[in-house]
Amino acid sequence: MADDAGRRPGGHIGQPHVRIDGRAKVTGQARYPADEPTTNPAWAYLVISAIARGRIRGMQLEAARAVPGVLDILNHANVGQEVKSPMGPDGKPTTTTLESDRVWHDGQIVAVVVADSFEAAREAAYKVVVDYEAETPSATFDSPGVQAEALKTDATHSYPLKGDAAAAFAAAPVKLDARYETPTQHHNPLELFTTTCVWDGPKLTIYEPTQSMWGLKAAVARQLGLDLVNVRTVSRFAGGGFGGKGAPTSRTAWIAVAARRVKRPVKLVPTRDQGFTIATYRAETQHHIQLGAERSGRLLALSHEGWEISSRPSSYNVSGTTTTARMYACPNIATKVSVVHADRNTPGFMRAPPDTPYMFPLECAMDELAHELGIDPIELRRINDTQTDPVDGKPYSSRSLMKCFDAAAAKFGWARRNPQPGSMRDGDWLVGYGCATSCYPSNIGPATARLSLTPQGKAAIQLAGHEIGTGAYTLMAIVVADRLGLAVEDVQVTMGDSDLPPVPGAGGSNNAASTTNVAAKACEEIRHKLALAAVQAGAGIFAGADPAGLKLADRALVGPGGRREPLATAVSRISSGAIEVHVENVPQGLAPDAAAALYQGKMSMSRGAERKDVTAFAFGAQFVEVRVHRRTCEIRAPRAVSAFAAGTIVNPLAAHSQYQGGAIWGISSALHEATEIDRRVARYVNDNIADYLIPVNADIGEMDVIFVPEEDHRVNPLGIKGIGEIGIVGMNAAVANAVFHATGRRIRKLPIRIEDLL
Amino acid sequence: MELTLNINGRDHRLSLDPRTTLLDALRDHIGLTGSKKGCDQGQCGACTVHLEGRRVLACLTLAATVQGRPVTTVEGLAHGEALHPMQAAFITHDAFQCGYCTPGQLMSAVACVHEGHARNDDAIREYMSGNLCRCGAYPKIVAAIRDAAPQMAPKTGRV
Repeated sequence: MADDAGRRPGGHIGQPHVRIDGRAKVTGQARYPADEPTTNPAWAYLVISAIARGRIRGMQLEAARAVPGVLDILNHANVGQEVKSPMGPDGKPTTTTLESDRVWHDGQIVAVVVADSFEAAREAAYKVVVDYEAETPSATFDSPGVQAEALKTDATHSYPLKGDAAAAFAAAPVKLDARYETPTQHHNPLELFTTTCVWDGPKLTIYEPTQSMWGLKAAVARQLGLDLVNVRTVSRFAGGGFGGKGAPTSRTAWIAVAARRVKRPVKLVPTRDQGFTIATYRAETQHHIQLGAERSGRLLALSHEGWEISSRPSSYNVSGTTTTARMYACPNIATKVSVVHADRNTPGFMRAPPDTPYMFPLECAMDELAHELGIDPIELRRINDTQTDPVDGKPYSSRSLMKCFDAAAAKFGWARRNPQPGSMRDGDWLVGYGCATSCYPSNIGPATARLSLTPQGKAAIQLAGHEIGTGAYTLMAIVVADRLGLAVEDVQVTMGDSDLPPVPGAGGSNNAASTTNVAAKACEEIRHKLALAAVQAGAGIFAGADPAGLKLADRALVGPGGRREPLATAVSRISSGAIEVHVENVPQGLAPDAAAALYQGKMSMSRGAERKDVTAFAFGAQFVEVRVHRRTCEIRAPRAVSAFAAGTIVNPLAAHSQYQGGAIWGISSALHEATEIDRRVARYVNDNIADYLIPVNADIGEMDVIFVPEEDHRVNPLGIKGIGEIGIVGMNAAVANAVFHATGRRIRKLPIRIEDLL
Repeated sequence: MELTLNINGRDHRLSLDPRTTLLDALRDHIGLTGSKKGCDQGQCGACTVHLEGRRVLACLTLAATVQGRPVTTVEGLAHGEALHPMQAAFITHDAFQCGYCTPGQLMSAVACVHEGHARNDDAIREYMSGNLCRCGAYPKIVAAIRDAAPQMAPKTGRV
């Protein structure tokens, strides 16, 4: 936790606070989009394609239409022209749905049945018969017919090159050359991908869980040719996001069209299996890593080449080499990434999109190199630690990586580790300790907010923010209370509605930095107004004083020497009702019109790896104990310790949950989850939440989290680096490294399962 | 079909398609949206409610089969403004993030205690493993149950 009293006048920032929306969440009153009351809705049920590539020759709809209560069946023949095709997560063309007869992937939406009841819509959907002209699909890497595309540097990704990595690798005294793979994964938030559309004349209201209120609003407006003011999105709570609700998907516009056609609100609650193909996912990746080092452990060469799957029309990619090239001091760096196009749905953001799949190979390779050199894996990181970005020599805004390693190692008991693989046992269990570096770039975007304050000391902040589980409501209340000198309970926070001032989508761990900095700016504007009025007043204790010397604290305007004027007096001087400000914040390095662009639904982002002044990352170290049963090869992870340094922590209670949840995602990523693909038909096989394994309560043991104090005055005014993603990043490699330590078996492909160790 | 459901001590007269699940009846016909649909096939536990005091999955229960049998949902846990000790413990321990699985976790947690399965952390983990939490709040759910269990009044009548 940051301990910077000067930057937290009210003392709330950095103090644990229970969630202000906690009561709503434990009483069933928190309203997720599908919970919004809707008058007389019709129900939609999706028909999805049974082939992965080809065309729709025709549909037999008679039996479906004959089901009592059926109102409409949307398909390419009757509504194909009514929407413009959607854009993918990267803002570029992606797969289509009802716009044409084309089938791009298995499980693509091919019809939408609308009926009076959910039961009737479902029955009718199963009676829709689709006549396909099927072609042989290409499922994934190494399938015949896939097309590889080497990527070039663009606005969001770069492929660092420095020195001569190939020559340095060839000449290096110690070499590590290995290939790694990460699997297809689906977010599987517990909430389904619901959409409810309600028309009121020309105005469309969309109730849909989203991580991007204004992004969804703008996307649907564009697709339907509507004025932005006529589209409103509402998502007061989202039942988990993890990136899966970050980009607009095809379904929304069709439900809007359906509602317009049947002249009733239309509600869609897709099935769990449909969520695997109507939304995005984390694509499978392959990696080739070459590390060259001196015998001392100092790195001489790093080469990281990656391959990622995407759909046919989209080149969406995550290109985590932007990160891996910046982890360790190294004079020679080469990176390259290719997208491999297959007959699949377009992937998208999933928790730590670039870093989870790309740090896995790097951090395994570092562990392998350490073993090869006979150097402790922590010490190998220390030898190659750096305070300057190895790619371009910029300083890190702050980098506390080794402090994280040291804190976590002490708590974990790393000193008890016998470095010899397979040497530690407990009865029938082989015991392994593993660790890895975690990191995530510190991103911040422009944001806007409206803030009011009454003489009674009640504040209200409004912004189109997103509560996806991060504790966003509480975060806002804490910052406003802190800056206005109020109690957290005095702050009312309204979010989740695009009728409110826009903020960026909640992704890439930017939310806390973007929204708290605009909130703090709004508070400062109110303080300044009150202070100015107080010093300019003919009467009053601060008449003629310097307004900069007046602070808001304990429901009063406080001057030098502790002189106090009650808030009621100070605010009443300006208004007997409330003062209100509307504030826009454009972080350093972004275009001055970045806030204006937000009102068009266009998000720009200052990315930590690509700033001009500094390189900004949060860092962490993750440790895990793995136990592998000698006879059954069952793998358990009974305890883990993760230490993170991420600048200012606003609410340690919610931050702890974020870190811990992220670490559990890491264990899941290492040992549990993978979407299995039937390569013959390019179809996801385990498309339900029982066969797609995620940890249950009994899978998770002790999950310690350490907050390593860090002050960062350069990353942004409040010193916030963001914490939503970093918790997952290092854990998958830590587990793989622990499995090696337990068994001597190096598994370079996730997830690691019993069959890999037999 | 016409039927009467007793939810949280109150009778609701409804006209439903016989295929309607208890979960859809609660959410879409009675307006009690606390119980959540996470899979609609009995895999996730987000729809867990109490039927005659036992935990059941509302998505796998046809509404027509619970006529005349008392159902308690998350909306029925608190007594007026006073939260159930389990609800209070979930808030104190931050035993949720997005909150979507929370109604089901709470109903399972209360049942877990009444069943006598909250004896120790391992037992809690085992008997709470029918309720998935994608945010990863499991350690805090265990801590909340451990805390709330002694504060809960012994259950009378059927488990």
